[in-house]
Amino acid sequence: MSDYLTFALPKGRIMQDSMELFAKVGVTCPEMDNPGRKLVFENARDKLRFMAVRAQDVPTYVEYGCADLGVVGKDTLLEQGRDLYEPLDLKFGYCRMVVAEPKALSQDDDPAGWSNIRVASKYPNITERYFAAKGVQVEVIKLYGSIELAPLVGLSERIVDLVSTGGTLRENGLVEVETIVEVTSRLIVNRASLKTKHRRITKLIGDLEREVEEAPRISG
Amino acid sequence: MSNIIETRLPTGVKDFLPVKAAKLEFLQSALYQIFHRWGFQPIVPAILEDLAVLELGLGEDLREKTFRFDDRQTGRLVAFPPDITPQVARIAATRMHDMPLPFRLCYSGRVLRHAEQRLGKDREVFQAGVELIGLDSAEADAEMIAMTVEGLRSVGAQEFTVDIGQVDFLRGILDDLDLDNHDIALLCAAIAAKDLSSLKQLLEDLPLSDQKREELLTLPRLFGGPDVLDKAAAAVRNPKSLRALENLQQVLDLLKIYGVEDFITLDLGELRGFDYHTGLIFQGYLSGFGRAVCSGGRYDNLMGRYGFSTPATGFAFNLYNLLFALDRELIQHAAGGTDILLVSMAKDKMPAQRLAVTLRQQGYSVAREMLVRDRQASLDYARRLHFRYLMILPEAMDSLLLIRPGDGQETKVDLNAVEEGRLQL
Repeated sequence: MSDYLTFALPKGRIMQDSMELFAKVGVTCPEMDNPGRKLVFENARDKLRFMAVRAQDVPTYVEYGCADLGVVGKDTLLEQGRDLYEPLDLKFGYCRMVVAEPKALSQDDDPAGWSNIRVASKYPNITERYFAAKGVQVEVIKLYGSIELAPLVGLSERIVDLVSTGGTLRENGLVEVETIVEVTSRLIVNRASLKTKHRRITKLIGDLEREVEEAPRISG
Repeated sequence: MSNIIETRLPTGVKDFLPVKAAKLEFLQSALYQIFHRWGFQPIVPAILEDLAVLELGLGEDLREKTFRFDDRQTGRLVAFPPDITPQVARIAATRMHDMPLPFRLCYSGRVLRHAEQRLGKDREVFQAGVELIGLDSAEADAEMIAMTVEGLRSVGAQEFTVDIGQVDFLRGILDDLDLDNHDIALLCAAIAAKDLSSLKQLLEDLPLSDQKREELLTLPRLFGGPDVLDKAAAAVRNPKSLRALENLQQVLDLLKIYGVEDFITLDLGELRGFDYHTGLIFQGYLSGFGRAVCSGGRYDNLMGRYGFSTPATGFAFNLYNLLFALDRELIQHAAGGTDILLVSMAKDKMPAQRLAVTLRQQGYSVAREMLVRDRQASLDYARRLHFRYLMILPEAMDSLLLIRPGDGQETKVDLNAVEEGRLQL
């Protein structure tokens, strides 16, 4: 078992992007072409295994060593603060973590004067750290989805959320006021795997690094 | 109404029931055998320390993790040690300084550390380790690593690596950066995560010489086999880092004599290790297990904090991590714990007691079945508790019946043969 390299990938778009990138460096999995409801895919010839999991769970599988490597957004890594190596920015899945508020509020709002504000977010840790660094007290309200709704119904004045084009914000009458961090997908590696499988992993990181450096940067 | 009493344990600590506890006992004794074979003598530090005294030897990292509370007798703060090395340093520096150096000391015991609860991390750490005090040679560093490899082999580890780093190599690069603490913290975080992408971005904006920039940029990729040393030597210019590389080369050469070089990897960008570490540091990893099972390294300044300056090095195994990583391999050391469950069918229990004494003198482990119950019940009990044999002394006491609980196979044995020591199980 342990001579396999196991990847944890988030189901959906990032998984597709990852496999497209991996294919360019010879890491493939024909079994994945007809996924059905399977969650684990194997390439026995090259001793590779791929697990499809929820994005938020990718760091957990990798930290515990069930997967040697994973691909996950920087947002998830910042939120969870795991003990992992993240050797490479894969440069896809670009978006921004922003503070947004209703247009009406923003017209005469000055971020420098913020104090005791309520912020709704899927990312309570990032939110708290960001405002703490600015010395602003916040009450963070953790939500699991449709964050844009919170200011519309008075649950919070502001939100912290991921945006790619900003379309959803605009449609809900919200505007970005500050960018907290730019987010892309990262390659992450388990601590022990990096040491015990260093030959294969070093080669993979090197190959991917060359591939990513050459590709033009996609931004959204 | 069922009578369920809620008896939950605080998070981060564990009870170990007989099978797992037997595995732990094996780990402890196997490692102690290695320690003794290399000439290390046991030491047993106190379970509590005066906080102020303990903190002399703790960096910020361990201070924050220390369990502390009031001593009612004195009103002073006392602490459970989060690490045994500073305790051994204290004892060696204050109680043993009249004895000739070097000291080779070993210990095993449990320490407590506050840990983030979210990951189910252990707050209790069961360690078995050694300290080699009074030597600063590469030979001493190599001894620690060779012992680690031998220890891992002795407990049944097959695929593993001892990953070596060098604190001085990093310090040589980080020492004279003309940056504020915030920038240095950001650089260190990127290096610790081997995050070359972020490191590149950070360096774009920082006022550093091209040489420094190049040295820093090599760090996230300086891990792997012995070729790492050549890559590192090509990248650095500062004397401290170069001396560190020389030390590593000497250690690797020595390790070839022990034939353990295949188990060694290098990581010169590794920022782990405790605040008190100074030179060569290392961690042991088993294939397929995400956390380190042992760690150690040089701490040349720690003894001085207790008033007796002398170089030192050491390491400790994390027995719980070893247990979880090798759970399956360790089964042979835990199953079939006791040889014989001895049942007497006679009213008079004296002959059975005499037989038990005889068998124990012959070296067998024997438990007397004192409950009066039918044979099947005794057999079930023997099976559940992993006895190797059920031995029945019949009322006539003319012979013995041996039953293997696993498959029920029966053998008749002559009682005289047993008393004359001719029983072979």
